[in-house]
Amino acid sequence: GRRPSFAAEKDARSFIPECFSHIPMAKRVQTSHAHKDVHPAVLAAGQQMATFAIKDSISRLEATLLAFKKVIESYDTPKDTSLSRHFVPHVLNPQIEYLTECRPMCFSMGNAIRLLKAQVNTFDINTPEDEAKEGLLESIDLFIRERINLAGYLIARNASQLVDEDDVVLTYGRHRLVEKTLLRAKENGKNFSVSIIDDPYDKGGLQLAEILQQAGIPISYSPNLGGLGTKVEEATTVLLGGEAIFASGFLQGAAGTADVAIAATKAGTKVIALCETINFDRERISLDALTYNEIDPERNSPESFRLLFDNTPVKYISGVITEFESGTGFSPAQAI
Amino acid sequence: MAPVSTHTPTLQKLLKSLRDQDLETSIEGLIFLLKRRQVRGDQCANATAHILLQVVAKSKWQSVDRLLELVTSAGSRLVQAAPHEPVIGNIVRRVLGLIRDEASEDRNADELSESVSDLQSLAPVAPPPTSAPARPGPTPITRSLTMPAAGLQVSKSMFNLLSVVDTLDSYSTGASTPVSLAQNNSVHALKSEIIDGIGEIIDEVNQADDQIAGFADIHIYPGDYILAVLPSPAVERYLIKAASRRRFTVLVASPHSQGSGAEQYSALRKKLTSAGVKMISLSTTGLMAYMPKVSKVIFGAKAVFQNGGMLVDSGCCLAARAAQEYSKPVIVLCGVYKFCPQDTATHISWTQLENPSSYVGYDDGETVDTIDIENTLAEYLPPEFVDVYVTNLGPQTQDHLGSIMADHYKPEEMSVQLGA
Repeated sequence: GRRPSFAAEKDARSFIPECFSHIPMAKRVQTSHAHKDVHPAVLAAGQQMATFAIKDSISRLEATLLAFKKVIESYDTPKDTSLSRHFVPHVLNPQIEYLTECRPMCFSMGNAIRLLKAQVNTFDINTPEDEAKEGLLESIDLFIRERINLAGYLIARNASQLVDEDDVVLTYGRHRLVEKTLLRAKENGKNFSVSIIDDPYDKGGLQLAEILQQAGIPISYSPNLGGLGTKVEEATTVLLGGEAIFASGFLQGAAGTADVAIAATKAGTKVIALCETINFDRERISLDALTYNEIDPERNSPESFRLLFDNTPVKYISGVITEFESGTGFSPAQAI
Repeated sequence: MAPVSTHTPTLQKLLKSLRDQDLETSIEGLIFLLKRRQVRGDQCANATAHILLQVVAKSKWQSVDRLLELVTSAGSRLVQAAPHEPVIGNIVRRVLGLIRDEASEDRNADELSESVSDLQSLAPVAPPPTSAPARPGPTPITRSLTMPAAGLQVSKSMFNLLSVVDTLDSYSTGASTPVSLAQNNSVHALKSEIIDGIGEIIDEVNQADDQIAGFADIHIYPGDYILAVLPSPAVERYLIKAASRRRFTVLVASPHSQGSGAEQYSALRKKLTSAGVKMISLSTTGLMAYMPKVSKVIFGAKAVFQNGGMLVDSGCCLAARAAQEYSKPVIVLCGVYKFCPQDTATHISWTQLENPSSYVGYDDGETVDTIDIENTLAEYLPPEFVDVYVTNLGPQTQDHLGSIMADHYKPEEMSVQLGA
């Protein structure tokens, strides 16, 4: 029945210290307890997000959109209503609720869903169902191509031009855009080395170290943030990946990102943030890392507590590279 | 932590056996423990003092210079065994200072006032000391005095007599130099005074944490959120003491541990909780995220240098930087015995690396082979990050550190070169 899971959930949250109790946390929702209208593809995506098998904002966005395509494909408008009136409240919303329950939505998912809903609203009541479905599927495909694939390509291209010969590029953890950028710079024939500072919980940096090392880039690896002050001084550029950027220009990144950015700025090393524009939230303003964050469900017990993200204030970011800016795409964070 | 079998030497065992075993074995014993880092951090001060006490008590010496030499040589060996533990050098310097003090007191007591003035009038005749700072007063126990000039004067005072003997005979034959019964008695008296003095240093080291904890309720207020980074025993005691008087919350930041089983600070949690103080365990990664909630940051220093800069565990630097970003006060706990009279250290020279095998397994051969892995254990924190230094003499500001150093180390000791 529903009871045990409800109790378990209450239990999990009871470990959260009161001063952080406003912050949401992902949780595993048993598929049998999900709303009956949740599509199997969405169920699967939700489970992967709850278990952090899919965890960065762009992978989550892509998984969501692909699952929604399945939802749209299998959708049949009931009689005496139309897709534009029925689809969002009765079909799409339960999917969204379920995904949110599995793990709080990231800002890119929020942005994409808003665009999708706006697209549905453009259809007339009389738009034939097939035409509407085709239109939605096409726009999702276009969206994935432009806002995810092309964006990643362009950011890597722009950012890789900032990597010079003999540079020492420092990065934190493993971020998809930083990885692409560094591989691209290597393909461009640049000889540089990379200093990777890792998050000991995630160990993504170690994977990145192995990937870059195989590409022939000399790597120095630090398993934690110790010795950061020295390492940022030795670096010529710091490349950081972002999960979101708020209206205030604050960069949300994996916990530890802000520490790296601050240390680098204090050492006089330039800090470049990489972020796709779909991750920008122009409405939300975060005051600090406790405004919008998530509790790590793996580290939520009486003996440990951990937040997944932190916020880097604008003054510690020399520039943000996105896919949309002209030229190098290099611009101050507030300007976006 | 490696399992400690009954066969492995430990500091406790070493200290227990000091009385019975010969000096060289004791010194070697501590060097062994230091090299294996089985004695580390705060323990080093205590251990060094105990060994130097043995040096004073057990080695044969008839002159103060000889004793200074013996202590310097034993001290240097300990410093070389653990160059990453600056407190060892501090204790050696404190003991050297103590010996000089006791010797000069002794002499002042014995000596007639004219021989003191004799000595002082002699000073200008002696070739100007090259390295020793020119300091007026009754402690010119510098080499320059005892070398050629000392030959001119044959004083009755024990100290000068012995220095003359010293320069005439080589050090190795010092023991065989005939000495009168009276001199022997003075040496005995001096020896026991020095041993008492070292005992006082040991007491100071042992009591420092408690004395620091006595100041706990000054800087912790009810309702505070105190971020304790890698709490040292001193910090733990401080928090527990504060918990007996105030209601606040402690956020303990400790490094990532592999197994999620036993908690490193479970004893601290138990004590705090029983006092009604909540404890939240965080990791030292990404402390910026919690800083808006934190009201104060506290950690212990491994050493404090003359400029106020510190040697701290690497997570502390991270916390201090984040605290500065949010203008949160940073409290550093350090016994006065951790004050290093050395020149300003640079951060590179004090960065200490540790075995990274807890992060990257050696089974991952290719990674271990091809990637340069560095796991930083301790690093230098510049003074501008700290608001208050709480010592066993009370809370101090950075400006005040210099005078505390001057109270505890004389220029002679500050310039002593220990180790390589």
